[in-house]
Amino acid sequence: MGNNSLFLIIKRMRTPMFVLVITFAISILGMVLIPGVDDQGRPYHLSFFDAFYFVSYMATTIGFGESPYTFTYPQKLWVAFCIYLTVIGWFYAIGAIITLVQDKVLAAQIALAQFQRKIRKMEEPFIIFVGYNSMTRQIIDHLSKDGIRSVVIEKDEEKIKELSLENYTIEVPALAGDIRDPKIFKTAGIHKRNCRAVVSLFNDDAMNLHVALSAKLMNKHVMVVVEATQDEYGQNLKTIGADVVENPFKIVAKRVYLSLTSPSLLMIEQWLYGDPLVLRRKDRLPKEGKYIVCGYGRMGTALEVGLRRAGIDYVFIEASPEKAAKARRGEKVMVGDADDKKILLKADVQEASCIIAATKDDLLNLSIIMAAKRINPEIYTIARENHLADTVVFKAAKIDRVIMLETLMINKTYNVLARPLADRFIRLMAYRGESWGKKVVDLMKNHINNNPDTLETRIDEEHAYALVRHIEETKEEVPYSILYRRRDDWRKENPMLILYIRRGEEEHLLPDPSLPIRIGDEILFAGTKEAFEDMEYIMENIYEFYYVMQGKECELSLACKLTLDF
Amino acid sequence: MNLEKVIAGFFIILALTMNFGFFYGDPTVLEQHNRYELFAAIIVNLIATIYKLGDKTQLGAVLLATSLVADIQLIGAASIWALGEYVTGMNTEVVTAIISFSGGALLANITSVVLFTGDVLKSKR
Repeated sequence: MGNNSLFLIIKRMRTPMFVLVITFAISILGMVLIPGVDDQGRPYHLSFFDAFYFVSYMATTIGFGESPYTFTYPQKLWVAFCIYLTVIGWFYAIGAIITLVQDKVLAAQIALAQFQRKIRKMEEPFIIFVGYNSMTRQIIDHLSKDGIRSVVIEKDEEKIKELSLENYTIEVPALAGDIRDPKIFKTAGIHKRNCRAVVSLFNDDAMNLHVALSAKLMNKHVMVVVEATQDEYGQNLKTIGADVVENPFKIVAKRVYLSLTSPSLLMIEQWLYGDPLVLRRKDRLPKEGKYIVCGYGRMGTALEVGLRRAGIDYVFIEASPEKAAKARRGEKVMVGDADDKKILLKADVQEASCIIAATKDDLLNLSIIMAAKRINPEIYTIARENHLADTVVFKAAKIDRVIMLETLMINKTYNVLARPLADRFIRLMAYRGESWGKKVVDLMKNHINNNPDTLETRIDEEHAYALVRHIEETKEEVPYSILYRRRDDWRKENPMLILYIRRGEEEHLLPDPSLPIRIGDEILFAGTKEAFEDMEYIMENIYEFYYVMQGKECELSLACKLTLDF
Repeated sequence: MNLEKVIAGFFIILALTMNFGFFYGDPTVLEQHNRYELFAAIIVNLIATIYKLGDKTQLGAVLLATSLVADIQLIGAASIWALGEYVTGMNTEVVTAIISFSGGALLANITSVVLFTGDVLKSKR
């Protein structure tokens, strides 16, 4: 398959070559057959070599004159004919080559061959993205800054051109092709050992299911990350073994629930997604009063679960009677256009504490918010924003809280791919409750600062050379508190906090620093950049490690140090 | 019936027969070998080679190889002829070299035709 382009070229060049050979043959034969006269007036015949020599330079229009003797008129007549014959032959051949270069099929084949070569040469881990859109573009951008490589499969060639103009830190190979073709995954290198994950974030759940299914069939070890907004597809995806099934509406519902019941946990979650570790006043949803949710679609039904669990009084407004009819008995769903003043008044908007515009139409959401604010200026407003392109309009509307589904998905997917420990931590802490969350936030704020950084690392030869060698050679238990020590003074501690340790099946949330280090531990830290730098030095460098362990400089000679025996 | 197969078959077999026509005769006597026949053999061989280009099958590759061998042998024969005529002068050694080169080409052409016929016989349609 690799040299398809070469075969294509050869096959297309058949006719031009045929034409060239024939024109040359006719010309040469004529030159040999037609008698000439030499300088002494005797008749002669050109030999085949003479004829070949003459035609060769005549045909290429170089023109060295007549050889070996001046031509007779019959010869000249034939030459005149030959000039046109061979020149047409050459032009045709050159024209064919130019057409070939412009040929789309050939270009596609060459692009494919280049793509395959890139995939073959790629040795570091990479992630396959199916579909290139505003979401995957940002995820790829984040990942490439972290040094994680991506590969894109996209049906639309225009988007691939767009991708090639983008300035990613690392090159992102892209392949044009329809995902329904099973060969496409193979071309993208799914069977390779260093293919870590396949990501599919289409709006269309059926499409995601299709991708997940073919990806799992091609390589069952690869991690599959897909979006599913409907429960039935979510179930199917779990059955076929998709590792991460993301539902943006469930994330939204969970966040609404968290901000009503345990704002500290929400704050930690948002911080891990990249926001500062503060809870602004407008992040606090009103706990009293009635909520009006406009739109009883996928987001509405997800919100319903969150609001009910938080014990909030709510009412839905839905434009389509069919969707409204799906509601369970006892749920309050009113049928009507939510930006209609009458319906809003009927839903008691002047008494309500909060309105959530959750339809999939951005403009409708905006007009709902505007209408509600006109009646009740005190109301807390939440709007769903579907497309990143509308951000400016939403900013201008002064909405208390804008839920951007695309951004949510971008952050979530990035976390899953690049910071798996943070992702796991978010899931685990949800069961801990508000008081635990408050403790963690206080610890971080008092111990570190208002907006700590995070770091994920692993205790192995690659990330903690000195530490691993020490543990292996002395069999001595080293507590995690060692890593907190400062390199300039070992008695002092760096502002750091271990949030989470994964040790095989064991999981420790907020462990005690006296916990002994084991090789293979995966750790999520919160702290300052300087603290992380110190820690990495201690883990990797035998001198630094010796200093913080013993409290003094290493006195051995360099040779001894290299054989290392503390 | 496949028109492309007809044309290819025609040129492959014509290449063999032309080649044989030139080769047939006393290998030491140049007069028994026609120069026009050598020219025609070279042209037909080149065309046959072109028709074998771009075939991705295993057989296609071997056919192309035999054709290339025949081309090289025949062009070699023509070059020796030109060399003999203009540089060294004709003698029995040169003449035998010309004829034996075309004999080599003949063998390659026979292989080519055998392979081609074999392939045709093997196919069921």
